[in-house]
Amino acid sequence: MVDIKLKLKKAPEFPLEADVITPDQFAGKSAAQIKKLIVYHGNEEKTLGEFFDVTGNGSEVNDIKIIIDGDLSNVKRIGEKMTGGEIIVNGNVGMHVGSKMSGGKILVNGNADDWAGAMLNGGELEITGNAGNYVGAAYRGYWKGMQNGVIKVKGKIGNEALSWVTGSKPGNRFPTLLCGSAGSFLGVHSHGGTIIVEGDCDRCIGADQVRGTIVVKGKINRILPSFKKIGEVKEIELMNGEKIKGNFIEYSGDHSVEKNHSKIDKKTGNISNSSNGRLYVAA
Amino acid sequence: MADKNIRTVTDVICPFCGTLCDDLEVDIDNKEEKIVEVRNGCQIGTKKYFSSNPSVHRYDKPLIKDNGSYKAISWDEAIDKAADILIKAKRPLLYGFSSTECDAQGKGVELAELLGGILDNTASVCHGPSLLAIQDVGAPTSTLGEYKNRADLVVFWGSNPVHAHPRHLGRYSDFIRGYFRKDGSNDRFIVVVDPRNTHTAQLADMYIQLNPSEDYELINAIRAMLRGVELEGDEISGVPKKIIIELVNALKSCNYGVIFFGMGLTQTLSHHRNIDAAICLVRELNDHTKFLLTPMRGHYNVAGANQVFTWQTGYSYSIDFSRGYPRYNPGEFSSVDLLMRDEIDASLIVASDPASNFPAAAVKNMFKYPLISIEPHHTPTSVNADIILPPAIAGIECEGTAYRMDSVPLRLRKVKDAPGDCLTDKEILERLVEAVKKKKGE
Ligand code: SF4
Repeated sequence: MVDIKLKLKKAPEFPLEADVITPDQFAGKSAAQIKKLIVYHGNEEKTLGEFFDVTGNGSEVNDIKIIIDGDLSNVKRIGEKMTGGEIIVNGNVGMHVGSKMSGGKILVNGNADDWAGAMLNGGELEITGNAGNYVGAAYRGYWKGMQNGVIKVKGKIGNEALSWVTGSKPGNRFPTLLCGSAGSFLGVHSHGGTIIVEGDCDRCIGADQVRGTIVVKGKINRILPSFKKIGEVKEIELMNGEKIKGNFIEYSGDHSVEKNHSKIDKKTGNISNSSNGRLYVAA
Repeated sequence: MADKNIRTVTDVICPFCGTLCDDLEVDIDNKEEKIVEVRNGCQIGTKKYFSSNPSVHRYDKPLIKDNGSYKAISWDEAIDKAADILIKAKRPLLYGFSSTECDAQGKGVELAELLGGILDNTASVCHGPSLLAIQDVGAPTSTLGEYKNRADLVVFWGSNPVHAHPRHLGRYSDFIRGYFRKDGSNDRFIVVVDPRNTHTAQLADMYIQLNPSEDYELINAIRAMLRGVELEGDEISGVPKKIIIELVNALKSCNYGVIFFGMGLTQTLSHHRNIDAAICLVRELNDHTKFLLTPMRGHYNVAGANQVFTWQTGYSYSIDFSRGYPRYNPGEFSSVDLLMRDEIDASLIVASDPASNFPAAAVKNMFKYPLISIEPHHTPTSVNADIILPPAIAGIECEGTAYRMDSVPLRLRKVKDAPGDCLTDKEILERLVEAVKKKKGE
């Protein structure tokens, strides 16, 4: 792996749109060429070199490791659409980090703003601090959000994480979110996401979930009326076959959605026993 | 006896609220070019007509701030100065547009694109969440005339038309007789869902008082119940289960139902997810009967702003042109969020008054930078502007097109001349576009 080091020279006055900071864009370019890549500052086009010191030359996408130092909380879209390689951010990072990425790895040693890993389609995004709203969410109006890959957030995340997430067992796609604690509407409109929360959540968790598994190891502020309690379990099987042990209360839902896969049998009143549409909360 | 000094204009469209009543009659004094009487309008619509008369609150010349006070300047100078401010800015905000006509809104889009700025309208702080929900799950809707003729169940959820759309009940939704609702009010069942016992709630056949900000849970419970799910507990969102069952039965058994929703649903906790759930509820109700929903739009042409922005840029509000092409992301490019994060370095406010309804911190940031206001009256925004460009009031002093809350376009009428040197919003924006083009050498 070759290291390409970026250091922020001055804090941008307006949000800096730096979607060029990806291994894909840096591949095969020298430091001088990388410095000439275009970034957007307000309504002006600037070059990456005006804001960053750059050292190191790019090689193959998968061999590139980009290390960025500085407070990047006003730098947006780092790692957007990347397909391979690695990015390490030492500091806070702005909106849309790793959005639509489909491969490789991003590690943020700090906090991330909204839309971190939005519509992620593969690869791994790890954030050691907190993240804002819409982690791994679908952009406005999209019916498919995150479709593959893993997002890990050590701290707390905001509202509406993983909205419209779509996973598929036959397709071998298991979009997964692991986080410390979460706001409201976690996994709203989920179509097969896997979400594991170490701590507590706010309200409306799993709202409109058609398929998917949400595991909350802490408390939920208010469970939606449309979730039906099934009973206590000692072990949970996730969609990808992995197992989690512990004492949980199992709910099925969201039963307000027509296409919910965990159907209630009209004759017997039993809830069909599939791993779809489940919410587990620590007992 | 007709008074020779007075002329009367009939079939006037009221440019105040989204109801766009089209039956006003306005008397104008010919000598003084003043409105002396308005018939058929409600109290708030009528007030707007009278406010157009020359007064200490009305601007009639372009003004510029000079050492803390305002001095009158020529239009040429004002446009030149305003264009300079906008060109210099790296992230200019163009906001408002909801109380003017569609041609002016179109010019606003052109200007924002030229400047590489942010373009937003007041939906950003009212029915923006409805638009987000519609983008997520669609919306089954209809025109107000259909409701008038057919609806036998009308739900007002988080809206209070008695005060916000005073003639809505009389013209479309309650008292009016319709083709299939010959007995008006007696042929309709009115449901009001609101945490406050409003004056609309007092007219209702069924009033459901829920806990504030728990609308999502209630809609969710109704949806689950519709699907035959037994609910646990005795009450949901503070509403006893017995009453929810009654409500579900009423919703299912009507012939033609409609939900009119307002700020009480869009701007309380859960915002667009409330509307998302309400739309899904309506969709599911259509398994049982005919059911539709319509947002109660506030500003008379905010629906038009959404229409115009959408057909010209692809997006209805919160649009960023900084990269030369339109991009859309409420939360990132919406005015309040941008101002809260202090990302704007100049603003042009057209036909709206953000200073009186944005959060104080956002307004403070707006006032830190150059501010241009296209506004006929003294408002908290305009009295803090650096340049004030006085327009003729659309729908009173110039013609134009406006979209009703159900997105039906209506042609506004001119009833009198504007005072002083006022130009129309469209002319002002057109001149700004020309000036910016010239300065940029395009
Ligand atoms: S209801 Fe609205 S449109 Fe009708 S007269 Fe009143 S303010 Fe004007």
